Amino acid sequence: MRELLLLGPAFRRYRWRYLAGALCIVGAVLLRLLVPRYLGDAIDLLRQAASLGPGVAAEPEALRPLLVRAVLWILGVAAAGGVVRTTSRLLVLGTSRRGIHDLRRRVFAHLLRLPPSFYAARPTGDVMSRVVNDVQFVQSLLGPVFLYLAENAALYVVCLSFMLGIDPVLTGLGLLPFPFALWRARRIAAEVQRLSRASQEGLAEISARVDESLSGQMVVKGLALEDFDYARFERRCREYRDLNLRLTRTRARMQALMIGLAALGPLVVLLAGGPRVVAGGISLGDFVAMLLYLQFLAGPTAVLGFVLSSLQRGRAALGRLGELLATEPALADPPAPAPLPPGGGALAVRGLTIELENERGEPRRVLDGVSFELPAGRSLGVVGATGAGKSVLLRALARQLEIPPGTVFLDGADLTSLRLADARGAIGYVPQEAFLFSASLAENVALGRPEAGEEEIAAAVAAAGLAKDLPQFPEGLATLVGERGLNVSGGQRQRVALARVLLLRPRLLLLDDPFSAVDAETTEEILAALAPLMRGRTTVLVAHRVATVRRCDEILVLDRGRVVERGSHAELLAAGGRYARLEARQRARAELAAGLEEGGEDEER
Amino acid sequence: MKGIDLALLRRLWPFVRPHRRHLVRGLLLLLLGSACRLTLPYLVKLAIDRHLTPGELVGIGWLAAAFVALGAIEMAARRRQMFEVDSAGQNALLDLRRRLFRHLQRLPASYYDRTPTGRVIGRLTTDVEALNELFSSGVVTVLGDLVFLASALAILLALDWRLTLATLLVVPPLGAVTMFVRGRVRRAYHAMRAELSAMNAFLHEQVGGMAVNQMFRREERVAADYDRISSGVRDAQLRTVRWESILSAAVEMLGSFTVALIVWFGGGHALAGGGAGDALTLGTLFAFIEYMQRFFAPLNDLSMKWAVLQNATTASRRIFALLDVDEALPEPAAPPPLPPARGEIVFDRVSFAYRGEPVLRELSFRVAPGERVALVGATGAGKTTVLKLLTRLYDPDEGRILLDGRDLREYPLRELRRRVALVAQDVFLFEGTILDNIRLGAPEIDDERARAAADRLHLDEFVARFPRGYQEPVRERGKNLSAGEKQLVSFARVLAAAPPVLALDEATSNVDSHTEHRLQEAVHELMAGRTSLAVAHRLSTVRDVDRILVLHRGRLVEEGSHAGLMARRGLYERLVRLQGMGEEA
Repeated sequence: MRELLLLGPAFRRYRWRYLAGALCIVGAVLLRLLVPRYLGDAIDLLRQAASLGPGVAAEPEALRPLLVRAVLWILGVAAAGGVVRTTSRLLVLGTSRRGIHDLRRRVFAHLLRLPPSFYAARPTGDVMSRVVNDVQFVQSLLGPVFLYLAENAALYVVCLSFMLGIDPVLTGLGLLPFPFALWRARRIAAEVQRLSRASQEGLAEISARVDESLSGQMVVKGLALEDFDYARFERRCREYRDLNLRLTRTRARMQALMIGLAALGPLVVLLAGGPRVVAGGISLGDFVAMLLYLQFLAGPTAVLGFVLSSLQRGRAALGRLGELLATEPALADPPAPAPLPPGGGALAVRGLTIELENERGEPRRVLDGVSFELPAGRSLGVVGATGAGKSVLLRALARQLEIPPGTVFLDGADLTSLRLADARGAIGYVPQEAFLFSASLAENVALGRPEAGEEEIAAAVAAAGLAKDLPQFPEGLATLVGERGLNVSGGQRQRVALARVLLLRPRLLLLDDPFSAVDAETTEEILAALAPLMRGRTTVLVAHRVATVRRCDEILVLDRGRVVERGSHAELLAAGGRYARLEARQRARAELAAGLEEGGEDEER
Repeated sequence: MKGIDLALLRRLWPFVRPHRRHLVRGLLLLLLGSACRLTLPYLVKLAIDRHLTPGELVGIGWLAAAFVALGAIEMAARRRQMFEVDSAGQNALLDLRRRLFRHLQRLPASYYDRTPTGRVIGRLTTDVEALNELFSSGVVTVLGDLVFLASALAILLALDWRLTLATLLVVPPLGAVTMFVRGRVRRAYHAMRAELSAMNAFLHEQVGGMAVNQMFRREERVAADYDRISSGVRDAQLRTVRWESILSAAVEMLGSFTVALIVWFGGGHALAGGGAGDALTLGTLFAFIEYMQRFFAPLNDLSMKWAVLQNATTASRRIFALLDVDEALPEPAAPPPLPPARGEIVFDRVSFAYRGEPVLRELSFRVAPGERVALVGATGAGKTTVLKLLTRLYDPDEGRILLDGRDLREYPLRELRRRVALVAQDVFLFEGTILDNIRLGAPEIDDERARAAADRLHLDEFVARFPRGYQEPVRERGKNLSAGEKQLVSFARVLAAAPPVLALDEATSNVDSHTEHRLQEAVHELMAGRTSLAVAHRLSTVRDVDRILVLHRGRLVEEGSHAGLMARRGLYERLVRLQGMGEEA
């Protein structure tokens, strides 16, 4: 029950509402049970009249006021019960929605603090499941489950005391089938919940299959795979149908159980109690009231199975949420943040070593003692093979990764001593994979500065080389892009990400191979357009084409996390090392392609 | 009949018809259950009047036995009935899904270019599920409900017609109130679900773009947005709670009011009852209350069923709108005898525009049987479009394309695509094993043939790293394979199928040099001895082919061998330099 501690704040904040709600529940139950009481009275009254026999005119007239009183009591109690019952629901269910809103905000605020490494380690669906499904489970715990348990606890206590007051033996007999029913109900409920989940997954599976077929339709059509694809889809649909039929069968069992329980209890009472009514041991009114009480208890008892399962699920969900909220972000503001000194984005990296876990969870050194100085306004190119650590270096500089203190300095200040927001405000980072939100193109560009004017946005778009693509967007900059908008090519995405950063005019520009999905011709155009922007702005540019970094003031060559060469393009060429070999190979290939050399079958080394 | 279109719903009948036996059985069972349900209170009445009140115990055992038996029958009938009706529904919807999917397969690529995928998926999932409600909520067996209502009413009238009329006069206004509240509950739920799904969409996107949010310091703004959306959800939920609370109270009050009324009228009647035959007995009173309650339960359901019917109308309108899309590429009704497959391709003054933009302009060329031809050109020159027209994903606007001397439009689509295999740039792997992905369900390709194709392309080199080898399941969209490995699998597919014509769109992705080498070999192997039209990005490919066609803005501007075109120092030479063809980082 430790998980329930998480609910502490919600309960504390709303404790008076919950208390009032609980009181109303008890009140509502009491009032509801008074109806059979008065009905019983009325029936006894009528029976008295009936036993007097017909023709005794004076006597029934004397009974009439009593009857009127009974009817008025029933009406009054029913009306009061309705009001109290409504209030109890409003209080408990309403408060649970308020409490859940608080919890949702708390979880989301926490998510906003968690570092990229957290999201890299798990699929979006997993995180969503925490925030959506688990919160939903907790909501039912705070609302319906609480309401249900409180209501039925009260119902049981009150019903039982009334029934015991009428006849303890008969009560015991009437309740005889209940424990068995509860046991069955729990099993059926667990089965229903398992099958519903499976059925939901089945539908999701169908949806995924259709999605797959539609996105793979070039292949399906191009290779005439319609039957193959159809068979796969059809199998899923069949499985889904079978699951649903099983679910129906199980649900039917639950209904049958409820009906059975509602009939069995009264039957027992009828058999056992009938003779006693005749013998005069119990009044007929009491007897009828007893039957009604048993019926009151039958429905809730069968449903109790579901409630107990929900309780269990809610507790598990709370446990998972608690775990999530207890995750301390590895990347956080320092306790006493230093102010960001003024400057032009001078960067100093001293002995930066980073270890990350690989897929098998083993630590691997991805950066190994990297050091360099980049004066303000200069540009640095970084090249190296795949896996050399280029992207990790940029992520570390962009405060996307935790770094040891005293290793990276921005305008003289240790990056880890700055507030994350300050550091990120000074740094513009363009990752390889660009993410677009479902918003207009303009809004996506103005992500960091929503107040930016149209002209500024247009300028950034032009500088990123996106202007020539604009005619492809039906509504220009106002075109909706992202998941729910127009499909945008990888190259266009990268350029939107670039424009985004350019609009911010950061001190330090970090570009992680921003042209990997852009063809060479366009890359040249963008680089030319960027040149004036990059001039005077400190820039680190990662690329796989030597041609892209050629113009940088200095170039680093990374290999397995280490800086193996550094210098200007000319210097590195002159040094005749790895960079020169890479350049030679790329140039040789171009020349080979140009047909200036013959017999170059060895371009593959 | 607001929001309900019977003509539309009638179109569902062909799907239900094959399973109508289930429906009929369900209906009969429903009637059987109802009969039991209506008899039970009468037995209680008899017990009270004949035995309990006069104190006559003889015979009460029989009544109890009948009570148990009828209860058991009702229970069994209800279980079976739910199952029968659901069987009809689930099977009908399975047929509907099948039909929809087949229809989707026939729709041409141009339809999907302008239709968001999510909407199409919604037809097969959400909308079909909305139709399922017709069955699960019992709309299809509403006839049974009506019979039940009529019988209950007849019994009530027979028990005491004055009491029945009096009760029915007073109860409807109260019933109307609950109906109204029910409508409000439904609307509130509808609004709440819309808010909820908007919130989930927002969350999904923000979680996916979390790094961007943090990088651009949008945390506070995003949190404020979320706060607003979440408050909207909360308020919508509070509205549902409000109306639901009122509803549950109203339903219960309605029950109590009915009881009070019956006691009032009936009791008064009993008290005043002069003649012996006219007197309302206690048993009758008890039965009356029971019947009244049973009478109202299906009445309440009817309003719910009306809403289900409205939803189903909306859903079927969408579903049939999709089924009515009649855009499939026309196929010959009776295909003329087809020429034997030699693999000759002729583009004869072909023009094609995509979204109003001309892509190909009067393009003409011929590829001889067995000839290997590369298409080269800048982005947007129309290279990939040539392949899409050749495989008839689209039809040309003008001009014609001949395969073995016959217009493509004269081929049945399947036959055409059996003759021309398209290898797209984006490799698409299906869920299943690696071997499944090579065979792709073709009956004529057995495991051996698939393995042989894989061996020729040296797939075993990477397949060996999987514990289950070729039987290793491909994870979602091939996540456990590298880009190069996925391409090799897609090549092996074609090699196993051995089509006479290959339409290859080479991928540009960066792969390591060893894989690159393997891919080059594979392309060579694929093109060997088969008419090939390849959009080439590799130097090795253009050097390997017999002829190169250079496209510029949808026109053929140069043609010849690699060496010849380089020597010309024209567009081709410039392209090769700019694209750094075959360059490796």
